[in-house]
Amino acid sequence: MDEFQEILQDFLVESFELVEKLDEDLVELENNPEDLELLNGIFRVAHTVKGASSFLNFDVLTHLTHHMEDVLNKARHGELIITPDVMDVVLESIDLMKALLETIRDTSTDAGIDVSACVVKLDKITGGNGEVDTPIAVAPVVEEISEPEVVEENEDEIDYDNMSPDDLEAEIEKLLQERQAEDKAKREAKIAAGEDVLAAPPEPDAEPAPKAEPEPTPPPTPKPAPAPVATAPAAKKEDPKAAAPTKRAPAAVEQTIRVDVKRLDHLMNLIGELVLAKNRLIKINDDVEERYEGEEFLEELNQVVSIVSLVTTDLQIAVMKTRMLPIGKVFNKFPRMIRDLSRELNKKIDLELGGEDTELDKSIVEEIGDPLVHIIRNSCDHGVEMPEERLAKGKNETGTIGLKAYNEGNQIVIQIDDDGKGLDVNMLKNKSLEKGIITEKEADNMSEKEAFGLIFKPGFSTAAAVTNVSGRGVGMDVVKTNIEKLNGIIDIDSELGVGTSMKLKIPLTLAIIQALLVGVQEEHYAIPLASVLETVRISKDEIYTVEGRSVMRLRDEVLSLVHIGDIFEVERILDVSEHAYVVVLGLGTSKLGLIVDTLVGQEEIVIKSLGDYLKGIEGVAGATIRGDGGVTLIVDVVALMSMARNVKSTALSNVGSESTVSMEKNKASDYKVMIVDDSKTDRTIMRKALESMGITLVEASDGQEALNVLKSGEHNFDAMLVDIEMPRMDGYTLATEIKKYNKYKNLPLIAVTSRTGKSDRMRGVESGMVEYITKPYSADYLSSVVQRNVNFKAEFL
Amino acid sequence: MSDKLKQIINKQGDQQNSGHDQLDDIVQLVGFVIGEEEYAIPILAIQEIIKPFTWTRVPQVPSYVLGVFNLRGAVIPLIDLRAKFGLKTKNQSDETRFIVMRHGDDVAGFVIDRLTMAIRLKKTDIGPAPDTVNGDDTIIDGVGKQEDKIITILKVNKLLERDF
Repeated sequence: MDEFQEILQDFLVESFELVEKLDEDLVELENNPEDLELLNGIFRVAHTVKGASSFLNFDVLTHLTHHMEDVLNKARHGELIITPDVMDVVLESIDLMKALLETIRDTSTDAGIDVSACVVKLDKITGGNGEVDTPIAVAPVVEEISEPEVVEENEDEIDYDNMSPDDLEAEIEKLLQERQAEDKAKREAKIAAGEDVLAAPPEPDAEPAPKAEPEPTPPPTPKPAPAPVATAPAAKKEDPKAAAPTKRAPAAVEQTIRVDVKRLDHLMNLIGELVLAKNRLIKINDDVEERYEGEEFLEELNQVVSIVSLVTTDLQIAVMKTRMLPIGKVFNKFPRMIRDLSRELNKKIDLELGGEDTELDKSIVEEIGDPLVHIIRNSCDHGVEMPEERLAKGKNETGTIGLKAYNEGNQIVIQIDDDGKGLDVNMLKNKSLEKGIITEKEADNMSEKEAFGLIFKPGFSTAAAVTNVSGRGVGMDVVKTNIEKLNGIIDIDSELGVGTSMKLKIPLTLAIIQALLVGVQEEHYAIPLASVLETVRISKDEIYTVEGRSVMRLRDEVLSLVHIGDIFEVERILDVSEHAYVVVLGLGTSKLGLIVDTLVGQEEIVIKSLGDYLKGIEGVAGATIRGDGGVTLIVDVVALMSMARNVKSTALSNVGSESTVSMEKNKASDYKVMIVDDSKTDRTIMRKALESMGITLVEASDGQEALNVLKSGEHNFDAMLVDIEMPRMDGYTLATEIKKYNKYKNLPLIAVTSRTGKSDRMRGVESGMVEYITKPYSADYLSSVVQRNVNFKAEFL
Repeated sequence: MSDKLKQIINKQGDQQNSGHDQLDDIVQLVGFVIGEEEYAIPILAIQEIIKPFTWTRVPQVPSYVLGVFNLRGAVIPLIDLRAKFGLKTKNQSDETRFIVMRHGDDVAGFVIDRLTMAIRLKKTDIGPAPDTVNGDDTIIDGVGKQEDKIITILKVNKLLERDF
């Protein structure tokens, strides 16, 4: 059972790979009908699939591929010319073959798809020497065709549909035995093969039979039923041309292994952890360096850290490479698509592929297919003109669509060019106005690039009529969302009458990205660097408000701004400085300035999901773990752009000046004063001096503790008594820290110290102390100073 | 061939199910306090119990979701049970703990005021949730009776369910 499943899996994987390649080859074959090597290659695919499927008892598939093989075999022997009409039938049969393979993958049987109509057509081609009448009505029984060559075969394949399962089994058994006997006879000439058919070594039989052996009847030649399973892996990597009989090398050694994607994913996850650990190590190294400057062991530590970080980076790249697939895998299906489209639209279109070897992460390769289909369809339908029109314009009758991929920095660029009519900016604007996608005003202010971007708006379609191909107004919208999902950017260039060029810029991998870390208040956020165009430092008066939205002038552009704090509901506790940074985000054709308080730096981050519980939070793409072990949220630039539209402008205006909410005091104990001193004795002295007033006292033993108490927001203090010399955080630092908070701007800080120097006093004032009491002091003096500063009501005395 | 496989799978499935039937009738729970009340959850639903450390705020969530924290490389949501149960928030003390609970693939950390003890209860000592608590929506799984007190047993899957 298991063995069967295993073989089945291998068969499916292999078949899908073969079929993918097939499409491209067939279209090329149509252009070069004489290319024998190409024909041989295609024939071999049909043959391999047939052989394997007959071994696995997929009768319908065998039946179909067998007839395909007949046609191809004839073509191969020059008895049949591949005309577009013949090709249509062959392509149809290949589509059926794909459908069958998919059914097999899903259900493990190949029942449920009717291939008879196609088989009739195929037979017609072999029978009628290449002339195809208009498709015949579906004939339930295919077999009675006068051609002598096929008759014998037909008797074998006859009436599968009508047979009882048992008969069928018997029939197949018989067939298989016949075939095996045939095979054996052939093999005997060579080395004696083992009894076990499965273990049979790759047989040359899988290759097309040498032409020297004149065989008018197709069936006997290509029936080494079991062998192809074993040959498969070797055959799949080879280019059909390279595998042409003349060049066939003696059994090349297998240089690749198949690995389950899950294992690679796991490996990638582990690397992610390693990258995080590396970041952490670097941070610790920095800290240690600071603390033990000049120590000898530092150099050694430095070396180790840099080696670890170097190797980690290399390892990461190496593992990323294992997940890379050539983009040719996606490109393969386009020649066929272009062919079908051009026939359907009665246009003449050539496709030029380039850079098929460019490699991309597997997950991206999987996602990129659909957008490309839409873009290319669009180019065929709207871009390239009808042949007559092209001739009238003095262009070549045949339009060209170029599809190429290349590396640019750590991005992959996929470029789609057409030499069609180009995008008409005015037409785009008018159309959008008509459909209410933009307003008159927006249209007037729109740059050319922004106007091109309109084609990605949902509900937009420039096609006058909805065709089969495009114009439903969904396609390009999907393109944009899909590309943005991959953190990619779309860049359109177009010249009216000359053509359009679209560039999709996509990051190499999705799991680990470069990010810009920004700070707002006490929080940090990571912005994918791919979306960051530039950063600018501005002062507050450079921000203007237009129609309730903040904007700024950036060179010759007007950039709309949004404060990151407004997007992420950040509480404004810290005082904002006069200056701020604007991170200019670019996505597709739109731009947005994001105001942040600080720029922290660039870091390599590993994207982690927030999990099911917190999924779908707008504006957050995920989280990452930083060098210090903390979690930092990753900004979802796409969502942020749309959220920015609904955010009211608060930009840098200091909201919340209601901070110093001094609550109504009804009794003496409503007053709260904090005593910060590292000496227990001093605290007790102060407490004794103030207790008589009946106010509430809270003690802290150093600056750090005082700050924590303050931050906790548990108490609402009216004043603080601060000693200057304290461990961990001294009084000056504490005062400076406290004054950073809007809320405590007006909190009276009273220095209580034995330092009497003038410069000490000056420092005290600079750091925001309002009073300066020198030790020793009398209890009455202290109490009166406190009363004055907290506006103590006389009636409580 | 696949029929045969199905039969085998079915048979194995039956065997497994019958194995489940003979569960022992002791339930092991971990008790903890939130506010004045003592609650408990099945010990098997607990991945670990850790001392509090820093977390990162997440925007656009109800106030009882404090944010996310890093549990050895995994990013996990942190939920304040005090806030979730409608109690006033209180500052963390030395006894505050994060209980990391797991149900299937869902994991989250919960802030509790203090742990009490591991409890072994006979199934017969656990009563249903009071009738006043409405239907399937309740997060109360049952009420465990001990000699001197009763303990509310919570449904872990309900706790881990996103309800906003």
